[in-house]
Amino acid sequence: MNTNLKISNVTKIYPGCVANDNVSLEFNSGKIYALLGENGAGKSTLVKILSGVVIPDEGKIYLNENNLKLNSPSDAKKNDIGMVFQHFNLFETLSVFENLIIDSDEKREGIREKIESIMRKYNFSIDLDIPVLNLSAGQKQKVEIIRCLMRNPKVLIMDEPTSVLTEQETSELFLSLKQFSEEGILIIYITHKLKEVMDLCDEVAVMRRGKLVSVSEIKNENIESLANKMVGQNLKIIKKKKVKTSSDQLIKITNLNFTSEDPFETNLSDINFSVNRGECLGIAGISGNGQSELFQVLSGEIISDKNSIEFNKNYIGDLNPQERREYLMAFSPEDRLEQAAIPQMAIFENVALNNFKSSNFFNNGLINENKIKEHSKKIISDFNVNTDNIELKSQFLSGGNLQKLIIGRELITSPDLLICFNPTWGLDVGAINYIHETLIKINEQNKSIILISTDTDELLKLSDKISVIHKGKLSKIMNADEVTSEKLGILMGGAN
Amino acid sequence: MIKIVKRDQPSRAIFFLTPVLAIFLTLLAGGLIFYILGFKPFEALKFFFIVPIADMYGFSELLLKATPLCLIAIGLSFCFKSNNWNIGAEGQLTFGAIVSGGVALLFYEQEGFYILPIVILAGAIGGMLYASIPAILKTYFNTNEILVSLMLVYVSKLILDYLVVGPWSNPEGFNFPETRQFSDSARLPLLFEGLRIHAGIFLALAAVVISWFVFYKTYLGFQMKVSGFSLKTAKYAGYKGKKMIVLVFLISGACAGLAGVGEITGPIGQLHREVSPDYGFTAIIVAFLGRLHPVGIIFASLVVAITYLGAETAQIFMQIPKYTGQVFQGMILFFLLASDYLLFFKFKFIGSKK
Repeated sequence: MNTNLKISNVTKIYPGCVANDNVSLEFNSGKIYALLGENGAGKSTLVKILSGVVIPDEGKIYLNENNLKLNSPSDAKKNDIGMVFQHFNLFETLSVFENLIIDSDEKREGIREKIESIMRKYNFSIDLDIPVLNLSAGQKQKVEIIRCLMRNPKVLIMDEPTSVLTEQETSELFLSLKQFSEEGILIIYITHKLKEVMDLCDEVAVMRRGKLVSVSEIKNENIESLANKMVGQNLKIIKKKKVKTSSDQLIKITNLNFTSEDPFETNLSDINFSVNRGECLGIAGISGNGQSELFQVLSGEIISDKNSIEFNKNYIGDLNPQERREYLMAFSPEDRLEQAAIPQMAIFENVALNNFKSSNFFNNGLINENKIKEHSKKIISDFNVNTDNIELKSQFLSGGNLQKLIIGRELITSPDLLICFNPTWGLDVGAINYIHETLIKINEQNKSIILISTDTDELLKLSDKISVIHKGKLSKIMNADEVTSEKLGILMGGAN
Repeated sequence: MIKIVKRDQPSRAIFFLTPVLAIFLTLLAGGLIFYILGFKPFEALKFFFIVPIADMYGFSELLLKATPLCLIAIGLSFCFKSNNWNIGAEGQLTFGAIVSGGVALLFYEQEGFYILPIVILAGAIGGMLYASIPAILKTYFNTNEILVSLMLVYVSKLILDYLVVGPWSNPEGFNFPETRQFSDSARLPLLFEGLRIHAGIFLALAAVVISWFVFYKTYLGFQMKVSGFSLKTAKYAGYKGKKMIVLVFLISGACAGLAGVGEITGPIGQLHREVSPDYGFTAIIVAFLGRLHPVGIIFASLVVAITYLGAETAQIFMQIPKYTGQVFQGMILFFLLASDYLLFFKFKFIGSKK
């Protein structure tokens, strides 16, 4: 049976922004649809409307000509709309089976057979009786998908499903999605990754700033055309010039170990690497494999053995971040809002977080506000932060502007080494380009970078050498021009 | 049609205007309550807010009540500004009073200029010790400071109860639950003959100046602020975040302890069961009404102090229970929190413009 889903003139206004501006779209089963847009383009809002989480201000939704009233997620379920969210909604300590039946209103007997038959049909192999916390991200996602399939959905919505998957898991997912589509399930695939759209989908709808900008067939599009539609301007393509890096060693990590008391953290074992001046070392990996711990060990938030880190011929393993900064190291953590900056404080106060003895922000225990403000103004103009009010609380900066401020704060003192962790996570394409250009520039100035990132494309674009972290262990260090994303994917999955 | 629109950024003018608005709304609602109770609203409000401070004695009483409120609120502002929810100032006040009272009793019938400073210091230390309990439990064992500090209030009151009834009770006191009178050397001097206002007010004013300076002008204050917002950020910046948390608790405990000293060595001159009419709790309202700003706290402590006095006058002249004072305090906080909505949202009249 054919399914037809129609969104008609949907508008949703939040205080201060129009998330969906009169959006109309039509979907038919048998095809896979991509909903493409940058962060904040309104695609998540649209999907939340379809799944009953958000109620639109105006507009209607029709499924096979029936006007749907979606006032809650359970209404969506009743109307055979299934949704797999970006963040998993699973109980980690319950078993897979318990997670699957927890919101099911079917009779208990026979349900296990039903689940097993679904798994056989789509070639999923997951042990139903182990706790969910022992599953990989890809397996957890399969559990979510099975949970939707148990209700025989007509529509399956996937919200940025590949952000936590390896290359291999992604291709498995794509195979399954194609199989679902052939069986008549209407698939709506939300993403901002252009390559996935080209690989998987039949039709693509592009959203920008709450508006639907185009609907077209994939065969008439290519990556560049989609990127330009998504961003609304022609993007310049950034490429790192291959320069000969020096053999002058800047930082050397020897036999570094970290054992955490927290069971949710990853232990690091036997980390060894070195970075030369002017070089960018990329560290790839699926999130949760020890990247955060590695960042903290490098920044000094976690103190280690004095001799395990040699920086510029000094042993600094036992120094805290402030002390390491005096040796010209700089750090840009992953979490912009909870760690790198304090949203409730003014821009200039955030600038003062990166404090050197020589910067004279604080003299004799007193705040030197003029000095800090002067410095802040320089960062704002040098790094294109789009504001002229340094007294503004930093929560009012967009993600991109905040990241520029943070990178600017760290770089304006011209450090020898910048350690950054997912510097472009969640940013729009324009800001990503700016950050990438900046990172390339500092390599050209013979400064070094350690780039810990979960974005493989970013790593391949910016790194001179790449290593992969898996379960707290680093793979051997490879030259970036010798690796491909497929090879990285295999290493990220834990194979040798 | 009126529409509610989010502000691009919180309005600074509104930030200081909302406390005024809250007080105005409290008066309005208070008048309404009096009307429902069968009183003439204006007359009742006059008895509540004007009559009590119409003469010098009344004004001195106002300052007397405002002093502990201001002192405690200043201390609490350190905690609240750094997101540490110390709700137990009442307990820290009581414990400070116990320690300083104990020291004052040691000097029973002795004289000397050195006695008063020791007694004052003992009170501050007592408050600090008591505040260090929730602080240390929070930083090293991840307990919730709201619960711990609140529950410790009742513990301190029971300790006080035990002491004044048992070991410390006045041997010649006919079993009244109170200690001996402190010697004059252990008492804060009165400022004017015949009025109860005492030198404790200078402690409060000193606290105002020092807190302003520390919080707005020093590196230490900056680190406290950062650590309060995010320990992760503090760690990243290289600050000792946990120590900062303990420090703000100690400061706030010391202030509450000093307020306790002021109560027992000022007008009372001995320890008894009720050293404080819940100043430690009311000061929370004062701190927020004053926007956690030292100058704001001065004004807020005066406003809230009136509710104590007004409640007493109202009880005498209008036969209204004195707990009406707490109703007014509650309304102030309620309207303040409600009007904070205006910080982030504004009303837009659609149709007239645009």
